[in-house]
Amino acid sequence: MDLGRSAADSIIEAVATPVVILNRDGEIVCFNRACEIMTGYSREEAIGRSVWEFLIPEGEIPAVREVFDRTRDAGGSTQFTNSWKSKSGELRVIEWSNRALEDSAGRAAYILAAGVDVTAVRSNERALSESRALLSSIINASPTAIVTIDVAGSILGFSRQAEETFGYSQAEVIGKPVKILMPPAEQLRHEGNMRRYIESNEAREFRITRPVTGLRANGQEFPAILHVTEFRDDQRVFVGFVEDITEQRATERRLADTQFELRHASRVGAMGEMATSIAHELNQPLTAAASFIEAVSLSLRKKDNPPRLEDAVVLLDEAVSEIRRASKIIRQMREFVRKRRSAKAVHKVNKVVEEACAIAVIGADEYGVDVETRFGADVGTASIDRIQIQQVVINLIRNAIDAMQESEEKHLTISTAMKDGMIEIRVADTGVGIPTAIKSRLFEPFATSKSDGMGVGLSISKSIVDAHQGEIFATENNEKGSIFVVRLPAGGEGEGGASQ
Amino acid sequence: MKAARVSKGKILLVDDDPAVQRGLSALLLAANYDVEIFGSGDDFLAKRDNSLTAGAAMLVDVYMPGVQGLELLERLKKEGAGFPVVVMTAHGDVPMAVRAMRSGAVDFLEKPFTASEMTAALDRAFSSLQPVEEVASHASIKLQRDYAALTPREREVLREIVCGDTNKEIARKLDVSPRTVEVHRHNIMSKMEAKNFAELVRMAVVLEIRC
Repeated sequence: MDLGRSAADSIIEAVATPVVILNRDGEIVCFNRACEIMTGYSREEAIGRSVWEFLIPEGEIPAVREVFDRTRDAGGSTQFTNSWKSKSGELRVIEWSNRALEDSAGRAAYILAAGVDVTAVRSNERALSESRALLSSIINASPTAIVTIDVAGSILGFSRQAEETFGYSQAEVIGKPVKILMPPAEQLRHEGNMRRYIESNEAREFRITRPVTGLRANGQEFPAILHVTEFRDDQRVFVGFVEDITEQRATERRLADTQFELRHASRVGAMGEMATSIAHELNQPLTAAASFIEAVSLSLRKKDNPPRLEDAVVLLDEAVSEIRRASKIIRQMREFVRKRRSAKAVHKVNKVVEEACAIAVIGADEYGVDVETRFGADVGTASIDRIQIQQVVINLIRNAIDAMQESEEKHLTISTAMKDGMIEIRVADTGVGIPTAIKSRLFEPFATSKSDGMGVGLSISKSIVDAHQGEIFATENNEKGSIFVVRLPAGGEGEGGASQ
Repeated sequence: MKAARVSKGKILLVDDDPAVQRGLSALLLAANYDVEIFGSGDDFLAKRDNSLTAGAAMLVDVYMPGVQGLELLERLKKEGAGFPVVVMTAHGDVPMAVRAMRSGAVDFLEKPFTASEMTAALDRAFSSLQPVEEVASHASIKLQRDYAALTPREREVLREIVCGDTNKEIARKLDVSPRTVEVHRHNIMSKMEAKNFAELVRMAVVLEIRC
């Protein structure tokens, strides 16, 4: 027994782990070398003192006391992790194994506790769990949807924004193939890409960015930018950052629309400006010509003082040359329109007409005009200069609105249709109709029935339509108003091409 | 031309376009006016003297290089030219016509114009005998009374007309139909006893109606 006792003491003393023996009240009766090293207290300082008084941190006393009492009263062994406060005030976290030592009466007289210092392990664990929490909060706070998948393409992680973007909850998609997040065409591309990534099995960092189409839970497709990066742990993990650019696209489109309208407005304005400067250019020869002719006319009426024929002929020749000058100005103007860098491309005619309508009918309801559009479903593409054709359409629509100013019924119909292999654009009004006086020279310059009109719109329109190998003509609209028809050759190379 | 002809007066024609100079002088001669031609405002200012301008009327284009018609008019008004001026403007350029009238022009002609329009304007110029600096100095009592007889709406329409707006634009501004504007316009002309649009503009200038 004595040997056993001293052997036990030696073992306790020799082990590298802290071992302490407490009496029923928690007073230290044994404090081994490892305890000394760990706490900085010497055996002499420790023995006889209560653990509660200096080793157990105040906040942990109730929990430790409960385990201590249980071990002492119920006997047997318990395990518990708590901290000890070292002499320098440092906390050590120790996993204790406790055992009650009974006296000869079978009563628990002492508690033996052997511990393992897990301070370092615990702080690593905490750091790990903290960094996990941080990572997950970053992932979830990211405004970009983050989806992680394994080599097989199964979803491992799904960020909060991913839930938002795709409309699935994390629970719904974890373990599912990532393909459910893409439309069929995208799935094929994805499979090809995955195969390539996996085959290139080298441990290299890669980062790929490409435009993709995503598929939401509700079946809606959306444009996105995908960034992919690979992460290697014990397995290969692919991290996909999915940026939904629907909003961005919409903004871009709105911007483009606005720019288009501005460009158009300025072109329409430029046309008006051109008309003004042409008006001044033309006024000079027209004034001169009219003056020469009237001078002759006035002279011829003077019975008492008739002009010499040679004088009259000179004046009339002058008049003719001024009229030639005027017509040359008109010809130059038409050349200008015709030769303008023609930007012909294949466009969807319905779209082109629709855009022109949007601009031309601005303010139409102010005049009480109701506008109806009918676009033929079979109307396809044509090789046209979009801006020029839109100028024609805008001009016809504005004319139509003007013609209906005094009409009871103000109905404007813009329609497209296929006719004899040609595309027809029709602008029909319920206005005053075309005055007989100008019907035959409707598309000639300066034929106008408007008090403030120049009569250049339709002649420019005709030049444009001619340059498209098309035709433009007017007919009556059921005895009230007129219909202007523009016919353009359908198709053009690359039929079915995009309108842009 | 033979000596039997009696001159209706001398016209100082200022226009930069040679064809217009020749055409208008032929027309003026055929209409029994004498003509002195100037290629620009500068040209006139360089050559002017009392023997040249006495008893004459000026017919001047407002759009010219160098000293513009309007500028020339302002100068003549300031210096007290002592002869009436008729300006030529582009068709529909009412604001320019109004500015010319304010600067002292007796009348305006929209290019291209007929011989009768021209003679009417020149006759008015000669008969007004209003040297350029006295134009628009005061409104006659009759003119004031006629203007007072207009309804507020008609006065509004008159102001818009003088600003150079078309019937269509006026209709939109006042939120009525162009037809209604046309009716107002007709009533204004008859109440003011204006024989033509130019005269109405002239009256508005005298009444100091501003845009």
